[in-house]
Parts: sequence; structure tokens; C-alpha cells
Amino acid sequence: MSARWRYILTEAFVGLRRNLMMTVAVVLSVTVSLTLLGASLLLSEQVDLATDEWVDKVEVTIFLCDGRTCPAITPEQEQALRRELEAEPIVEEVFYESKQEAYERFTELFRNQPSLIETVDPDILPASFRVKLVDPDQFMVIAAQFAAFPGVEEIIDQQEVLEQFLRFTSIVRNAALVVAAIQLVAAGVLIANTIRVAAFARREQTSVMKLVGANNWYIRLPFVLEGVLAGVLGALLSWGLLYGSVPAITDRLAEDIELMPFISSPEVLAVGPLLIGAGAGIAAFSSIVALRRFLDV
Amino acid sequence: MITLTNVTKTYKRGANDEVVALRDVTVEVGKGEFVFVVGPSGSGKSTLMKLLTCEQAPDEGEVWVAGKNLRTLRSWKVPALRREIGFVFQDFKLLGTKNVRENVAFAMEVIGRSRREIERRVPEVLELVGIEEKAGALPHELSGGQQQRVSIARAFVNDPGILLCDEPTGNLDPTTSVGIMKLLDRINRTGTTVLMATHDQHIVDSMRRRVIELEDGVVVRDQSRGVYGYAG
Repeated sequence: MSARWRYILTEAFVGLRRNLMMTVAVVLSVTVSLTLLGASLLLSEQVDLATDEWVDKVEVTIFLCDGRTCPAITPEQEQALRRELEAEPIVEEVFYESKQEAYERFTELFRNQPSLIETVDPDILPASFRVKLVDPDQFMVIAAQFAAFPGVEEIIDQQEVLEQFLRFTSIVRNAALVVAAIQLVAAGVLIANTIRVAAFARREQTSVMKLVGANNWYIRLPFVLEGVLAGVLGALLSWGLLYGSVPAITDRLAEDIELMPFISSPEVLAVGPLLIGAGAGIAAFSSIVALRRFLDV
Repeated sequence: MITLTNVTKTYKRGANDEVVALRDVTVEVGKGEFVFVVGPSGSGKSTLMKLLTCEQAPDEGEVWVAGKNLRTLRSWKVPALRREIGFVFQDFKLLGTKNVRENVAFAMEVIGRSRREIERRVPEVLELVGIEEKAGALPHELSGGQQQRVSIARAFVNDPGILLCDEPTGNLDPTTSVGIMKLLDRINRTGTTVLMATHDQHIVDSMRRRVIELEDGVVVRDQSRGVYGYAG
């Protein structure tokens, strides 16, 4: 390491230590804000995962009897059902999903919950017609028309289920984002203030540096780095908090709510770089703004 | 080396309250000259110094230092200008947590000189200013005269073409001051231009160098081989 970098790093660490109380305040406030930010990002991912592509495309699912709760659908009935569905003008597309396909999709959807997959075999999941409507609001027409069709077990409007779920999660996520944003601004102001105090504490040294012609970035970098180190430390803490709590919660939920896939450790790990980037970014920005006036030539 | 042309500088204290620090000042200092800037407090000596280092910008007129027009100098080039200038202050401005050697080395470190250069140059300069045996001492363990020698060493360590001294003997007793002046004279003889603001009549009279006298921001006298007050 060159002498210049050693100087810059030493100064940054000395600044953090000398100002321990402020450093703790900065780290904690960054931790809180980034934990909220991370939580809302993870919630978005959870929503994306749950509204997996197929759910998005298919508005109506017609489950077919397989002989357990009602007499199994015959191939003729299945053919007739498909023809009638395709003949409907409000139906745009009809997909057939066999028991085997349903099982494959299920295992893909719940790849994070092997215990759940073990309890299911291809026989249990019903085959279905997945129907895409020209106008999703016309679910009732389909429901009324085909509910009594021989071999139909149940008709579900996934659009409705999905929308309720999305409404709820988007409210929670937006609330978390708003609080995270406010908290992040507070963290930024706190960082700016801390850096200003640090610059003031070392004003003699700084003024000597200016007089002997040290470059501006060389004077400022220790202070900026001091802020960034605190920001990154806060980000790491929030990452740890999320990693320690989110998988534990979602794994529990996954046991209780069987039919929804949940995010787990890999997704939490993946938000880490983003949190660190945000922590470093807000800290660097606040520090530079704080120093602009204070350390002018 | 230093040229001021019709320089005026006013400070605003309020909406209608202006203080004229320098008024239409024109001064030229050649390379290797030794110049005293004298005058009572508030006559504009400090402002003159600050203009030369880009700490202040003139309202009117032009300032040239070491071949650079300070009016057009971009702010990121100011550090380069300051490497051409060494500063010595009345209050020394040494860093209290660093010893003598570190204080001098600091001026080289922060402009990115190599460790080898620093290890070669610092002892050389400490010896030049006669403080080498105190290299490990902290500033508060030194007398005022010794501290001023350290600050001169720091100002000179990067071989500036110009040395600006703002009342360098202001805090020192007469005997110590003479020693400091001998040192500045020796540095001047290496070809370094020395500009020294002072109140010290004895020093100015004994050195018999060029004297520029300011009064209320106006140059009232510019005399080679002058003395402090008006005299032959």
C-alpha cells in the first residue's frame, strides 16, 4: 500500500474512533433504514415469486375431477369441455395441464421447500384447464356456464385471488419504502453532520494541508471514507438482520401456507450487494455535500 | 515572480458597510528578492498575502504569481500554485500531535512525495534551519524560536520559489528574532523570493532590504534598501 493510501485509511479510522458515539448513531440509523429498504425489496420479490408467470397469464382455472371427490372425468367429457370452452367468444386461449405437468410446476414452484414436495406425488394434483379470457372481468360467465359441467371439480378465479394479494402486499411494501426513505434521509443528515464535526476537529491539519498544496481529493477522501465505512457497516448489519430473520419467518410461513411459494436465504443473500451499495452511496453523497462548503479552497 | 496590477479588494461587512483592504495596488517583486511589507494593523498586509495564495480573489486588477494569472486559475489548480509557495506564520501552525520530523515530513507526504525522498530531504532541511537535534520533540516541548524554525523548515521542504512570512517574529523576543531573520536571509540566498509582512522596526532597519509600506490599503512607499519609518 502506498504512503498516500495508508494516510487516507488511517485518518478515516482515527476519525471513526475519535467520534465513537456519532459513529454508533450513524451506523444504527443506516442499519434501520436499510433493513426497511431490504425488507420492502424482499417483499416485492415475494410478490413476484407468488404471482409467478403462469398465474399472471391465466385468469380462470377449471380443475378436473380425478375420482377422489367426484367421479373422474372421462376422455369424452374432457374433449367436450375443451370444445365448448374454445367455442366461447369470451375465451381467448385454453391450456390443458395434466397431472404430471401440474406436479412438475409444483416442484418448480416449491423448490425451496423440499419437505412440501415430498408430501405430494403426481397423482394427488388434479389436471386442469387454464383459461385466458378476452376480458378478465367476465369470470362469472364462465363460472356459471361450466360449474355444473360433468367432470368439473371446481372453477377458481385466479385474477381475483391475485388482485387481493397484490393490493395487500403493495400497501405493506409502499409503507415500508416510505419509512425507509424518511429514515434514509435522516441517516444522510446524520452522516453529513458527523463528517462536518470530524472536519472541524481536524481543521488545523486540514488548513496546513491546503497551504502546502495537497490536492482537494486527498484532503477530503479520509472524511468521505469515514462516512462510507460507517454506511457500509450499517449496510452489513442490516443484511445480517435480514438474513437472521427473514428466512426464519418465511420458512415458518411456508409450513403453514402450503400453496404459496416463499423466498428464503438465497433471495436474502442476493439483496446484500444492493444494500451495501445503497449504504455506501448515501454516505458518500452526504459526506461530499457536507464537505463542499467546509473545505473550500 | 509576483505581480499585482491595480488591485483593489473590499470586504463587505453589511449592506452598506464596506471596508477597503487594498486600493489600486501595483507591486512587482522579482525572482530572488527579499521584500518587507510594513504598515500598521489593518493596512492590508494580510489581505495582500491572501491574494497571493488564492485564499481571496481581488475585486479589480490582476495578480500573477509564479507565472500564473490567479484570476483565470481554475480552483483545482490552486494546490499546484501553493506548492510554489512556502508559508510561515506568526503562530507557527504546527500540528501538536506530530513531532518536529513528522511536522516537516507531513508537508511532503500530503503532496505525494515518496518515502525515500522524504527520508532524504527532511533531515537536510532540519539541519538547514538548525533544529536537527530536536527532531523527535513535540512542538509544545520547544521554545517559540525553535517552533518557528520548524515551521520555516516545513515551508521550505518542498523547495518553493516563494516564501511568504506573515509576522514571523511577532511572537519572538528580539534575540530569537535575529536568529530567525538570519535563517530567512540564508534561504533567500538560495534564490528563494521572500515576502515578509512585519511590524518589527529593528529587523527592517537592520536588514536594509526593499520595503513596501501600506497605509489604509494604499502603497505609500516602495523603497529598495529601506528602513521601517520614513528616512533617507
